[in-house]
Amino acid sequence: MTPESKTLTRAAATRLLAERLTREVVVSNLGQASLDLHTIADRPLNCYTYGAMGQCSSIALGIALARPDVRVVCLDGDGSLLMNLGSLCTIATEAPRNYALVVWDNEVHQTTGGQPTATAARSSLAAMARGAGIDKTAEVRTEEELRRAYDRILGEDGPWVVCVKVEKGRAEGRFDRDVVGHARRFMHALAALPAR
Amino acid sequence: MAEPSWSKHVADVLRRNGIRMFATVPDYIVSHVLEHLWADAECRVVTVTREEEGVGLLSGVWLAGRRGALLMQNSGLGNCINALGSLNVASQIPIVLVISHRGDLGEFNPAQVPMGQATGHILDALGIRYIRPGSIAELETQGDGLIKLGYTRSLPVAIVLPSELTGGKQG
Repeated sequence: MTPESKTLTRAAATRLLAERLTREVVVSNLGQASLDLHTIADRPLNCYTYGAMGQCSSIALGIALARPDVRVVCLDGDGSLLMNLGSLCTIATEAPRNYALVVWDNEVHQTTGGQPTATAARSSLAAMARGAGIDKTAEVRTEEELRRAYDRILGEDGPWVVCVKVEKGRAEGRFDRDVVGHARRFMHALAALPAR
Repeated sequence: MAEPSWSKHVADVLRRNGIRMFATVPDYIVSHVLEHLWADAECRVVTVTREEEGVGLLSGVWLAGRRGALLMQNSGLGNCINALGSLNVASQIPIVLVISHRGDLGEFNPAQVPMGQATGHILDALGIRYIRPGSIAELETQGDGLIKLGYTRSLPVAIVLPSELTGGKQG
């Protein structure tokens, strides 16, 4: 196997994103995505979610619509997006230029023990995003493809949907579930970010 | 007898409390309110595919420093329960719910009745304070105070719209 074709891990993909962040908001899905983001690159402009499975992409959309001057990157999971596929239609309809949805697609419900999702069988989230009306979509499998995708979602107008095929596996570390405290910290950090 | 201007009063209560972002899955009754919001260039109305999506979206709007209201039928409240509990109540994120009340006085559709009768119980179970104004006068007396309380508590509140106020839907 060449290095280019090695399967990405969610942690490595999170780290590659974190290296590039400046004033972007990152909204992360409950469970693995939030734990990885918190462990690798905790920052006040991270908006962790803890409940409302499926709603991560919608929360990020609300932030993007309310703050069009700030780029919003949502880190969702395949199981969670499958619970809220209508969100893809709303993203397409509202078409915020400052919005990028990145889906960690490990083809399982990781947090509950690794039960397969529909993407393990025949379903493609990137194809569904295109069907919803989002033109800028990609399915990424290698580090090189991911680097190129990050360049584009952080540099070009969206909305974007990037599905990243990642290895199965639980995130390391333990999460401080200060649910109210993290929300307040995020609100204050975003409010303090100068408009542009 | 419902006054036709009820819908403008609802829209005005929301707008004068600083709400400019709205999400909706329309129904016959809340559409009357939406007409006023669609016509207002300062207001943005996002039609979502399912009411729960509106809860998520407006929670993001609040986290970004703005106020939002979700307009829907009480059947849609049923679609929102988990998000309201595990997101808004748990994280103390306020939104204003505007809920047309089907399945109560004068209802013609049996399928509306079970959720209609459960509506108050669902809101109570989640600790969501609500008003159910039977007239424009009651709406005007209670609406501002309810919304203020919601942002003071930093929790969702609900304006439930009964058929006595709106005229309901005739079957």
